[in-house]
Amino acid sequence: MPNSTKSLPMADTSEITRPEHIVDRLVGFGHALRDRGLPVGSDDVLTFCAAVAELSPGDPNDVYWSGRTTLVHRRDHLPVYDEVFRTYFLHVPPPKGDTPNEERPVPQGATGTLDVPDSEPGDEPGDEQPLILGLQASSVDIKREKRFAACSPEELAHLRRIMARIRLEPPTRRTRRRATDPRGPVIDIRRMARDAMRLSDSSPALHRMDRKHRARPLVLILDVSGSMADHSRNLLQFAYSMRRAAQKVEVFCFGTRLTRITAALDRRSPDDAMRLAAARVLDWDGGTRIGESLDHFIRTWGRRGLSRGATIVICSDGLDRGSPALLADSMERLQRLSHRIIWMNPLIGNNVGESPNTLGMLAAGPFIDELASGHDLASLERFATRLPDIG
Amino acid sequence: MSDTTPTTSPTSVPELQDRLRAEGYLAGRGLATATFIGLRLGRPILLEGEVGVGKTELAKCLAKIHGRELIRLQCYEGIDTQQALYEWDYARQMLHVRALSERELNDAETTAGLYGTDFLLERPLLQAIRSGGKAVLLIDEIDRADDEFEAFLLELLSDFQITIPEVGTITATERPIVVLTSNRTRELHDALKRRCLYHWIGFPTIAEELDIVRLRVPDITEALVEQVVKAVHRLRDMDLAKPPGIAETLDWVDALGVVGTEQLDTETAADTLGSVIKDRDDLELVHAELDQVVADG
Repeated sequence: MPNSTKSLPMADTSEITRPEHIVDRLVGFGHALRDRGLPVGSDDVLTFCAAVAELSPGDPNDVYWSGRTTLVHRRDHLPVYDEVFRTYFLHVPPPKGDTPNEERPVPQGATGTLDVPDSEPGDEPGDEQPLILGLQASSVDIKREKRFAACSPEELAHLRRIMARIRLEPPTRRTRRRATDPRGPVIDIRRMARDAMRLSDSSPALHRMDRKHRARPLVLILDVSGSMADHSRNLLQFAYSMRRAAQKVEVFCFGTRLTRITAALDRRSPDDAMRLAAARVLDWDGGTRIGESLDHFIRTWGRRGLSRGATIVICSDGLDRGSPALLADSMERLQRLSHRIIWMNPLIGNNVGESPNTLGMLAAGPFIDELASGHDLASLERFATRLPDIG
Repeated sequence: MSDTTPTTSPTSVPELQDRLRAEGYLAGRGLATATFIGLRLGRPILLEGEVGVGKTELAKCLAKIHGRELIRLQCYEGIDTQQALYEWDYARQMLHVRALSERELNDAETTAGLYGTDFLLERPLLQAIRSGGKAVLLIDEIDRADDEFEAFLLELLSDFQITIPEVGTITATERPIVVLTSNRTRELHDALKRRCLYHWIGFPTIAEELDIVRLRVPDITEALVEQVVKAVHRLRDMDLAKPPGIAETLDWVDALGVVGTEQLDTETAADTLGSVIKDRDDLELVHAELDQVVADG
């Protein structure tokens, strides 16, 4: 199918066409891409050279397209490829003010809707400032002890260690495949045929089977806006534990915009994972636009099928700065695109069953299958154990 | 599959483009180059892109221009080797055993016959390996299959051989042309991507889409083609949940043909909108702004 053809400026190609230089130039191009962070392997470069040999090395169009199909393996890398191609082969200077896609610095002291302690997950454990924590603690309900907000840095570090050990059993779904089950509804004719042949018995015993169960995909959507600052780090840690415990877990963060952090959480060391994830998210402790973020999720991920058949866990206090109508719309669509929606709201505390009366929760309420708390370790653990039943 | 005499492969990118065009498929320079390299180097081609931009269609046309048989494996969650590779026909085996035991035939030869090719149900992958150079293998929507299946495919795509314990190893004499498609519901494993040539198919430009529609639906007035394509491009700019693909454009043109209209106006557009917009929320949004969508200019 036609792709928008790149109009490449016809540059001086004599340099690439001189035979002794061709291979050097092509290999050099591979290195240039690698320098910019693209995962270009030696085998890719070999394929690239073989591809160019099939075409005409003098035509920048051929070089461009054969490189694009052999050296790039994902769509996100295309802009970088285009840029390196331009500078390397066509000698066009790179655009100014362009930062390489390295880890971005976590915005320090980000301006938020609330004055909150600097509890970005990117910090090393123990970085929390007790002074501000004290202030923060006063704003939460003191009766519910040991909310995350009220913990000292040591306690938080301890909690994180405990959390890393939470045994998470993801919800399951039935699959197409079957396994032996004496009380299953289907007769295992394959096994009976095998028995019949082996035992030369024309009427073998009945064997039955039933569907196997597999882990249902889990999608975590975490609110990291200002009002959730006390909890966001722990929720992220919880997400990390889940990601480690179960295979099909996708994690997203949002404040004013949605960021996918699944890949960042795949690091072995929790600290690395947290730091990488934190670097991905650019709107820590900012405002909240739940509706828009969910809408974005549906448009970019949901409609491609990421949430199909999945249990979705939204962790947010529902203090929304965006439009409640959009939130309700998004929730309705999300409900249709997923299996179950669980909303974890730290404001609930121990009053499980009572929905907080924030505007966001009122709008989203009709579409939530299950409300959970998640304000302290016990509630997270409770949630983890109940997950198989809820989902 | 009417014609299965293999014809020669194209020898240049323009030739490939011409031959695809003759089958009603317009391939841009990038897609044609990727496909050409894939054919020449004997590598699988991995196509990613929006829904309805012609990923599957390319495989069909490749089969046609090479005079090969198209073998399609539709992936889905939970697909396993039995559905993709082969399965024994147990029911027939059992009947056969019964017939044999009545005649009291019990020697090794008849038992071996039970696992002959007569009782083997070929599924797409085994079929493709057996057909080898006479087939185009389309592995559709690979992103919907599980990770384990992807790993299994990786092995298959590198060797093109399958071992069936009862029969032995079957190796493709010549490699089939392999096309994989993905809608990016999840990121594929890098190892699989490395095995393939990668191409992203985006939406076409207005000029390209005009060409496509003219090629596919020749008996339609020029004015209507232009109106429809421009309207579709406005729809794609509208931030819809499911922007229409090329398949939808063609559907729309067909629908207008059935209605027998010469002119796309608000009324005919409203009547036939269902062929191009397939999401209720989108329909509401588009209906509200239908005047702008079908506006001339």
